[in-house]
Amino acid sequence: MDADTVAGGMTYGSGGARTSVAIVDDHPVVLEGVRSWLAADPRLEVVATGDNVDAVLSAGPADVILLDLRLHGRMAIDKVSELSAAGQRVVVYSEHHEASTILAVLDAGAVAFLAKHEGRDHCVETVLAAAADRPYVPPSLAGAMVGDRRSSRPALSDKEREALLLWFQSMSKASVAKRMQISEHTVKQYVDRARIKYARAGRPAATKSALLARAIEDGLIRPEEIGTYRSYASPDRPLP
Amino acid sequence: MSAERLRVAGAAVVATADRGGRIAAVAIAFGWHLAVNVPGIVGGWSDYRVAWAALAGWVLFALVGVLGTARLFYGFAVPVAPLLTVLLIVDALIIAITPGGQFFTGMNWAWGTVGWFALLLLYDKRVSALVAVLLANAALGLVGVLAASGEANGAVDLSRFVMYVYGTGVLPIVLVVATTVLRGTAQEAAASEAKRAALESERLGAAHAQRERQERLGIVSEAAGALLHDLATGRADPADADVQRACALAAAQLRRLIAESDDVPDPLLHELRACVDVAERQGVPVDLIAVGELPELDVAIRRRLAEPLAATLATARDWARVTVVAQPDEVVVSLTTPATAGPAKESHSWAMDGVVDYWYERDEELVWTQTRWRAA
Repeated sequence: MDADTVAGGMTYGSGGARTSVAIVDDHPVVLEGVRSWLAADPRLEVVATGDNVDAVLSAGPADVILLDLRLHGRMAIDKVSELSAAGQRVVVYSEHHEASTILAVLDAGAVAFLAKHEGRDHCVETVLAAAADRPYVPPSLAGAMVGDRRSSRPALSDKEREALLLWFQSMSKASVAKRMQISEHTVKQYVDRARIKYARAGRPAATKSALLARAIEDGLIRPEEIGTYRSYASPDRPLP
Repeated sequence: MSAERLRVAGAAVVATADRGGRIAAVAIAFGWHLAVNVPGIVGGWSDYRVAWAALAGWVLFALVGVLGTARLFYGFAVPVAPLLTVLLIVDALIIAITPGGQFFTGMNWAWGTVGWFALLLLYDKRVSALVAVLLANAALGLVGVLAASGEANGAVDLSRFVMYVYGTGVLPIVLVVATTVLRGTAQEAAASEAKRAALESERLGAAHAQRERQERLGIVSEAAGALLHDLATGRADPADADVQRACALAAAQLRRLIAESDDVPDPLLHELRACVDVAERQGVPVDLIAVGELPELDVAIRRRLAEPLAATLATARDWARVTVVAQPDEVVVSLTTPATAGPAKESHSWAMDGVVDYWYERDEELVWTQTRWRAA
């Protein structure tokens, strides 16, 4: 059950500063547990915690909000849309990992989805990737994408689908790489490209645009693959 | 052949048997109308009180006959009672315009023909309806005869009248009764054939279920019989890890075979759950995650999808992850577990009958088994 470490070593956040994270959860035990997971990583700084999104955000800006999807008995998908539209990076984590819920969260503009059982490593990597507007696809998210039968689903290539499927099955990129006889880096590229295709599907959101812009900068996709994409990347930075 | 299909086939047999009767009814009515009535009208043309009325009556009869034929062969909904009334009015009209003394000749054609045309409209109705029309015809005739015949030959005319009523009435009635009996017999024959065939398919179904049970029993005996025998005779040691593994495998197979015959919405998931259940009872936490909607799969395909995983799962020690990804034309089942389980062979894969691909790999980290069905 390894977390994705291929992206490790890249500089996350801006200017080497620590990534600020706010955590919203209505279970104090979970809140405390997740806080200790994140606080243990020197690249992260937990700036606020609480059981209410607005209260937590009023304490100051955070690069990433880690949001429990079910707050006080109701699903906060509308909150995800609202925050994502305003450009706030939201990582949703939840014990509800039905494919339909996960896909709804992605549509709403969440940068990533994490199942609560997926553990510390996935949690830290997801938050770091989110802060850098880079995709991160934990196995539960891969499963939801590979099982997606909605007519509005993006068209994935065979390789992208196979990589998602095998990643969902094995939770080990090394094993997927061996199975597909490609490098782990290429496995991650296939998986991330699939995720990026989801970012340009459905309703637009500032966070989706940021993901797309970074994907182009990173050479994950070419601008002409985007379709109606409008660049949010700084114009003076050349494409790789 | 299903009982329902046989019932339909039976109805077709009845319809075919009945078709002969319908053709006979139409042939007699029009045959009579052309071969007997036309010469009658032509021969008496100059004697009719109103000649053109005879021609008009003939045409009306022909029209009613065409409508009756359409009803008999194409199921046209025609107003039966009004058409019968038309026939009887023409009948009365022809009696009225036929001169005295000509009642029993071809000039009074409608009186002898009305029964055959009424038959076209009442073919599949109760015979009593036809009898009622014939009685009405007889009453009209009686009035005609009484009005036309003189004192002298009254008794003779009445006797001829009765003879004619009998002669013209009995034949249509016989035809209706005969076809009704024929229809009933064909219906009975078809029904008893359908019943026999239903019994036969029930017998075949039972034999099929019996064969399946025996097949499962064969697999069970293979899985558990020898093992139980060895345990009972003391040849196998319950403390031996290999024996324990073999027991776990047999238990998983038994559970899956029992689950196989259950009638549940998602049989494949149900069968996998049975295998997972056995592993969990042995203290191995198993994640079973399914995405997508499972298509309907044959038991043989489900067996090929689940069996290899069940075998590996039975030997899992630490944790295991079972995933099912389903699409209308593809189902992929996978099991991953730490590399302490399963046979030590590095990697192998083969296609099972070209329907389900099976692939097994064990590296230093994971044992990974995948079965994949693709719609042909």
